[in-house]
Amino acid sequence: MTPATLRIDADVERLKDVRRFVRENAPGLGADEAAVRDLVQAVDEWVTNVIVHGYRGVGGPIEVELLRSGDEIVARVRDAAPAFDPATAPRFDPNLPLERRPVGKMGIHLIRELCDRFEHRVPAGGGNENAIVRSTTAPSRTGGQA
Amino acid sequence: MNTTIDRVSPEVAVLALDGELDASNYRELIATGSRLYADGARRLVLDLAGLSYMSSSGIVALHSLALVFRGLQPPDPEAGWAAIHAVSADTAEGTLADQVRLVAPTPAIDTVLERTGLKRILAIYADRAAAIAG
Repeated sequence: MTPATLRIDADVERLKDVRRFVRENAPGLGADEAAVRDLVQAVDEWVTNVIVHGYRGVGGPIEVELLRSGDEIVARVRDAAPAFDPATAPRFDPNLPLERRPVGKMGIHLIRELCDRFEHRVPAGGGNENAIVRSTTAPSRTGGQA
Repeated sequence: MNTTIDRVSPEVAVLALDGELDASNYRELIATGSRLYADGARRLVLDLAGLSYMSSSGIVALHSLALVFRGLQPPDPEAGWAAIHAVSADTAEGTLADQVRLVAPTPAIDTVLERTGLKRILAIYADRAAAIAG
């Protein structure tokens, strides 16, 4: 159950590598298939946010660390972008009709739905560290059979 | 992600998606669908059977194509949504965008559609023939 770490430059072309990293490493930390699927989506959504909004498309380092803590998997995403706490993002309302919906803004909403906790802190050296935490064995929230 | 176009009639185009739809390729999907609309298609059937993953960027693409096939401008996802209000003031709200139809999403993608409210906007069909005919 050794923690695993992936470092990438902030580029949407690397998202498939981020998903592969979670798919390949979360099972070894004890995540069942439903937990792996939810974590893959939640981490992909957050890293997308960091690339597109945090770094505003200009690039920068991103580190994803996966580790086991008790009966939970923790995905820590670290970046050097300006400090941003996703808890301050406006709530997304999935009930709005087509024409009145904001386009986008759904990533943070999905992370909150898929995982148990989503916690932000500013490390001593600056940037952001966001922890996406999900139980290793709770029923899937992305639906269907594992 | 690979896309395959099947133009079953001048009005109806089927776009089959294969692979993973994320922030790296969702704009291509909007562009491909928009070209079909510009070329005269008025119904877009998106066959999702081969799609193994979709992030919220994919939801943005489906939402944008629903607007395109209503004859509206696809919004820039980075531009905020004042622009959407501007172009949509005279359109009916709260109705299904019947011009864009989804076929056979996996259970995981189906849940993403549900959790983002997209199933209240776009109808889902079990198979391609039903979506073309209905």
